[in-house]
Amino acid sequence: MRATAKRVERPELDATLVALADPVRRRVVDLLKVQPRRAGELAELLGQRAPAMSKHLKVLRSGALIEAVNGSDDARVRVYRLRPERLEELRDWLGDVRTFWNDQLGAFKARVEAQSKARRR
Amino acid sequence: MTNETVTVSIEVAADPAIAFDVFTSEIDAWWLRGPKHRFKPPWNGCLRFEPGASGRLLEEYADGSSFVIGKVQQWKPGERLVLSWRLPVFAENETTEVDVRFEAIEGGTRVSVEHRGWHALRADHPARHGLAGRDYEYMKAGLWAENLMALRARLERGRVDRR
Repeated sequence: MRATAKRVERPELDATLVALADPVRRRVVDLLKVQPRRAGELAELLGQRAPAMSKHLKVLRSGALIEAVNGSDDARVRVYRLRPERLEELRDWLGDVRTFWNDQLGAFKARVEAQSKARRR
Repeated sequence: MTNETVTVSIEVAADPAIAFDVFTSEIDAWWLRGPKHRFKPPWNGCLRFEPGASGRLLEEYADGSSFVIGKVQQWKPGERLVLSWRLPVFAENETTEVDVRFEAIEGGTRVSVEHRGWHALRADHPARHGLAGRDYEYMKAGLWAENLMALRARLERGRVDRR
């Protein structure tokens, strides 16, 4: 498997990870997990000025983490909502770390139970 | 997402003192082998804990060299083991933390591993995603190389499916 690895660029995944590298943007993601919100609301909740917020939202959009849609109450108002697919992919990555430790603990269990029996004899 | 922590646990039929002892003093006997689980090529290094509160976890190679995986931060036999945790692809100032708890339960011990601090690694870190390929040499040496390849396959499948 490793032998077949090629230099494959994944610019869209790079953009996602870069988008999540900033604490303000991670807060935005956390807030949007609860409900869609307007840019102004997000700026207020996070204590950001409008131009800074707008920049953060742009980075999150290019990271495919959020999208702007027309509000359900007032179609003239744009609200931001989460695009959960990309977060799922990242969760999978941590899932691989989890699998790694699960495998190790399984191996540990086999060893420690055999040793425990041997020591009791 | 803001707190990237992995927690896993298992129940073993051994008391906490024995569990701690086997976990540390016999780590090389149970820790899985091969590039997916060991730290550096040629993947035949020997894992060893230097015991005690100022100990370390090392992978030692036949040529006499070694790689320091982490430094012990808490060493409480039968209770808890906390150590820093680095992969060969980490920069000098990059680290994560592994916290292992041994908790007595009916008939044995619950062993829990909490691996935390992943959020501190920069977003394009090869340990987070060797997928971009620019750090292929890193990736080859990386602990999760195969897992990352599997993830990439999954991502690419997903992308096709979504079309």
